[in-house]
Amino acid sequence: MADAHAKPQHDYHIIDPSPWPFIASVGAFVMAIGAVAWMQALKSGSLNLFGLDFSAANYWIFAIGLLIVLYTMYAWWADTIKEGNEGHHTRVVSLHLRYGMIMFIASEVMFFVAWFWAFFDAALFPGEAAQVLRSDYTGGQWPPAGIEVLDPFHLPLYNTIILLLSGTTVTWAHHALLHDDRKGLVWGLALTVALGIFFSFVQVYEYMHAPFAFSDSIYGATFFMATGFHGFHVLIGTIFLLVCLLRAMAGGFTPKQHFGFEAAAWYWHFVDVVWLFLFAAIYVWASAGATIAVMH
Amino acid sequence: MLSGTIALLAAGQAWAAQPVDWQIGFQPAATPIMEAIRWFEQYTLWFIIPITLLVLFLLAWVIIRYRASVNPVPSRTSHNTLVEVVWTVGPVVILLFIAIPSFQLLTAQYTPTEEPSLTIKATGNQWNWDYEYQIEEPFSFNAAMLQEGQRADFGKEDSAAYPRLLAVDNEIVVPVDATVRVLVTASDVIHAFAMPAFGVKVDAVPGRINETWFKATREGLYYGQCSELCGKDHAYMPIAIRVVSPELYDQWVGAAGSDLSGANRALMAAVEAQSKMASAAE
Amino acid sequence: MAGAAAHDDHHDHKPYGWTRWVYSTNHKDIGTLYLIFAIMAGIVGGFLSVMMRWELAEPGIQIFHGLASMVYGVEGDAAIDAGKHMYNAFTTAHGLVMIFFMVMPALIGGFANWMVPIMIGAPDMAFPRMNNISFWLLPPAFILLILSAFVPAGPGAYGVGGGWTIYPPLSTSGQPGPAMDLAILSLHIAGASSILGAINFITTIFNMRAPGMTLHKMPLFAWSVLITAFLLLLSLPVLAGGITMLLTDRNFGTAFFAPEAGGDPILFQHLFWFFGHPEVYILILPGFGIVSHIVSTFSRKPIFGYLGMAYAMVAIGVVGFVVWAHHMYTTGLSLETQRYFVFATMVIAVPTGVKIFSWIATMWGGSISMRTPMLWAIGFIFLFTVGGVTGVQLANAGLDRAMHDTYYVVAHFHYVLSLGAVFAIFAAWYYWFPKMSGYMYSPLIARTHFWVTFVGVNLVFFPQHFLGLAGMPRRYIDYPDAYAGWNMVSSYGSYLSAIGVLIFLYGVFEAFSKKREAGANPWGEGATTLEWQLPSPPPFHQWEQLPKIK
Ligand code: HEA
Ligand code: HEA
Ligand code: CUA
Ligand SMILES: [Cu+2]
Repeated sequence: MADAHAKPQHDYHIIDPSPWPFIASVGAFVMAIGAVAWMQALKSGSLNLFGLDFSAANYWIFAIGLLIVLYTMYAWWADTIKEGNEGHHTRVVSLHLRYGMIMFIASEVMFFVAWFWAFFDAALFPGEAAQVLRSDYTGGQWPPAGIEVLDPFHLPLYNTIILLLSGTTVTWAHHALLHDDRKGLVWGLALTVALGIFFSFVQVYEYMHAPFAFSDSIYGATFFMATGFHGFHVLIGTIFLLVCLLRAMAGGFTPKQHFGFEAAAWYWHFVDVVWLFLFAAIYVWASAGATIAVMH
Repeated sequence: MLSGTIALLAAGQAWAAQPVDWQIGFQPAATPIMEAIRWFEQYTLWFIIPITLLVLFLLAWVIIRYRASVNPVPSRTSHNTLVEVVWTVGPVVILLFIAIPSFQLLTAQYTPTEEPSLTIKATGNQWNWDYEYQIEEPFSFNAAMLQEGQRADFGKEDSAAYPRLLAVDNEIVVPVDATVRVLVTASDVIHAFAMPAFGVKVDAVPGRINETWFKATREGLYYGQCSELCGKDHAYMPIAIRVVSPELYDQWVGAAGSDLSGANRALMAAVEAQSKMASAAE
Repeated sequence: MAGAAAHDDHHDHKPYGWTRWVYSTNHKDIGTLYLIFAIMAGIVGGFLSVMMRWELAEPGIQIFHGLASMVYGVEGDAAIDAGKHMYNAFTTAHGLVMIFFMVMPALIGGFANWMVPIMIGAPDMAFPRMNNISFWLLPPAFILLILSAFVPAGPGAYGVGGGWTIYPPLSTSGQPGPAMDLAILSLHIAGASSILGAINFITTIFNMRAPGMTLHKMPLFAWSVLITAFLLLLSLPVLAGGITMLLTDRNFGTAFFAPEAGGDPILFQHLFWFFGHPEVYILILPGFGIVSHIVSTFSRKPIFGYLGMAYAMVAIGVVGFVVWAHHMYTTGLSLETQRYFVFATMVIAVPTGVKIFSWIATMWGGSISMRTPMLWAIGFIFLFTVGGVTGVQLANAGLDRAMHDTYYVVAHFHYVLSLGAVFAIFAAWYYWFPKMSGYMYSPLIARTHFWVTFVGVNLVFFPQHFLGLAGMPRRYIDYPDAYAGWNMVSSYGSYLSAIGVLIFLYGVFEAFSKKREAGANPWGEGATTLEWQLPSPPPFHQWEQLPKIK
């Protein structure tokens, strides 16, 4: 809508007013209330506000909030794509987007720092003299006494290979795009998405057969929350790539302008790198000398 | 104000460490470590008060000397390497002067001067303390804040010696001049075992046993309070330590295992008799 | 998409009605929203603190059992118990509201949003739409925190009473009710808001400076916001991780902080303070930037040692990331660990000293006019120093042993926050109010506001040093009678501070009703940054023609 402006003398994108931020915030609010209500319902507790028991709604309030948020994400990014297609993404604006994405990834890295911190806090110091209850529980070793761990060179290794492979397929797609090879682009992306889905399936399978539980153990807590948040990021990354695939099939992206694709690829690489750390630390390093569970 | 002065004067004697009205500094020290902390605090004041006054003075000076009516044409100076170096290096030097005794103090706090002769384990609960004497014949007891209605039961009617919120039903009793190790933990949430006159404060963390020590060199009854937020009665779980002569301690510890309140009453009577004698002698 | 964007032919193409605010993509409008929000939060946080001080005016429980029975309808002993918890809930909410909903929205969301784009010669923020969600996430977060006060934390207890530091196990098994979950999600949302804001500021400052404005020519306020944004970006996600662990420990049976299953309550403190310490510099750095501008403007002199000032802030930001455990000296850290943190913490006094002395050197030789913003700025320099030097005392683990969790710490951090950050906020308010609104405030009311506040907050917090040394622990609803004297003084101070807030509000009202035109630059030749070249208030879109910096 820039034409309505009194022609500014710069390349920045002065965005028109938009309802999405506000609606997304409402969604976030509903989701938060819904999450608390749901968690209360799980514990057969209540969340009494204004004389109403919100937990009676079980997960429904959360689901509504989530839908609002998802819808606004869709609408918001649809606007962004449209603005890009209208030519608002000048060089400097797409530089903004790059900075934005890099910094978003930086914040995600720091989020994972917290989970690694929790893991190393326990794995490096399972038997400090002062920490009597922890030492009782772990027997002074990591993994804690009595915990059977997954064989790192079985499913986790396959998953490492799957992710590394997906890193190459996404690069293939990128090169294809740069050379305006639409078929290569679509194929590369489709394969990446397929590998991402495959990874998730393997992960779910592994979770279902894990010899240790999610709850009531520091081992399960650190393992499942770290790998679980990674898995969640794989899911987001897969959806992100899937959107790119659909856009590519609909004729989107040009060799010159395809930041949406690049952002997805960066994100995917980030997910990949986090996995390498998880694999090296949690699966391989921490399983040294431990009893390896037999998988069926 | 008056009662404060009296209490301060009394500080040299037995009923030493509890806060007094309008107090503006640390409580008097009952251990060498607290002596050192008090010294170090005074020492830091010798740096930070002049620094603060310097800043105040400089501000006042520029406001008066360079106000627009006196100095209508401002200078344009925006650099002076010399002063910039001075105000960078100056603080570094000051900090070194602070750091050296600071490290000594810290190290001393972790280096008991002798092997402890007594170990007491303190467990914080919501909202009272359990104390376990880890001696040959170990025994333990619970200590909770003295309720107003309980004063008579415990013979603690004197609210100057047994102040509201500070007095407990059963004090920890230790011998004077002995090095005491304290093991600190908690059963539910985090509490903190604190004894201002001893320079001791250590968190009581569930699942964790923290260690500290003290060597009280003055007899008396000392008060501290739980120092980590632990829920609604955080303000109501004081800590009291009675430091007595080795003889009285031996009598007390011999009896406390089987009859705690009897031992406490006997001890209180003996201490009172002692202090009456002392004041008569003066 | 076109939505409410008016397609009229006016050059000042600005949307009208409520959509202008709710759908806004304009940094100045969003900044205004933030400022209004911060003022409201400041009133709430101030109200909570005055209630606390009222309670603490005398030994014994004065008001909270009554409040509890009014709000929660409990009676007798139950009211006393609910009241004791309610006091903790007030303390917690006061800390959280002041930090997350007053200081951060005022300095970063408010003043930085308004002024940074203008100062660097940019027409808006890099991501104008994201800017709006940064703001609109705050009201839900705030409402969640307020709602938490009305739901149970545990049997007979309402609201989150774990302190703003929400240490487990008091925040997990210690308060099983939904209040804590609401507060945790409130922090998640407020954190997301700040992370998005940080991304926006970094991108804007790196990419949208006017031609010729190198980083080394950029105004110090923009520098301070840039560094603050990095601190936010890198520290908040760690807090998000930590509080997510709280959430799963509470609701899904994980054992991060449960020692009987191998967890570690102290882990949370590390995660919290790894965020929490950078956070305190997040709260003060923008204030440093603001004070630099004001001191230079009213001394009619360029800033002394500009580069040193910028890199001192960089140093504070960097070192700020490696000092976190000075909040944990009594948790059982090893001697070596404590030594390291003592050393690292003390280092920060050096770059901070560079700033203090450079401000004074800026004034030296200047032609100083003591207008209201300058009063607040000078008040800031002195009172921040007082809070800073007591911080240096606390840095010494051996001494902190005696001071930790006493009112000495409360005195320290209010001198840097309530007398530091808040003074910077009011300095900025009076400095930029004419620019933002186009109207001049009444200098008489503004000065009265300053002096009443100055006396008030010093009365509140100076005696707290004495209380702390004498041994009074913090987060206590009741205290031994010997502490009564200074507590009474402190409480009277808080009533005076509250009157100060009322004078401030009246001043705002007065300025808007009298409508004295301020003009583009009410401060004269000392005001050299770009915002003073625009009319007051600036046009809806500024710098359509980018300014050129020599
Ligand atoms: C704006 C917020 C802010 C700022 C800027 C600071 C600044 C500093 N703080 Fe503070 N602090 C808090 C907010 C802040 N703090 C809060 C909220 C808490 C409590 C949290 C809680 O538990 O709830 C806290 C607690 C706290 C503790 C833990 C105390 C305890 O719980 O036991 C410590 C310990 O080291 C500390 C140290 C410092 C130091 C060394 C600085 C330094 O940065 C100060 C540097 C400044 C100066 C030194 C003055 C100017 C310098 C000169 C004039 C040069 C010459 C000076 C010398 C040579 C000394 N702070
Ligand atoms: C920025 C932070 C901030 C500010 C401004 C204040 C301001 C005040 N605080 Fe406090 N306080 C904290 C942060 C802050 N506080 C924290 C973190 C804690 C620890 C919590 C915990 O233990 O968990 C605490 C704890 C705390 C305690 C200890 C409670 C206890 O341990 O039991 C007390 C007791 O006296 C107290 C009192 C006060 C008083 C009287 C004020 C007065 O100064 C209030 C007067 C009000 C103002 C000066 C602000 C007015 C501002 C505006 C109206 C906004 C203006 C906005 C614009 C212009 C845009 N506060
Ligand atoms: Cu126990 Cu505070
Ligand atoms: Cu800190």
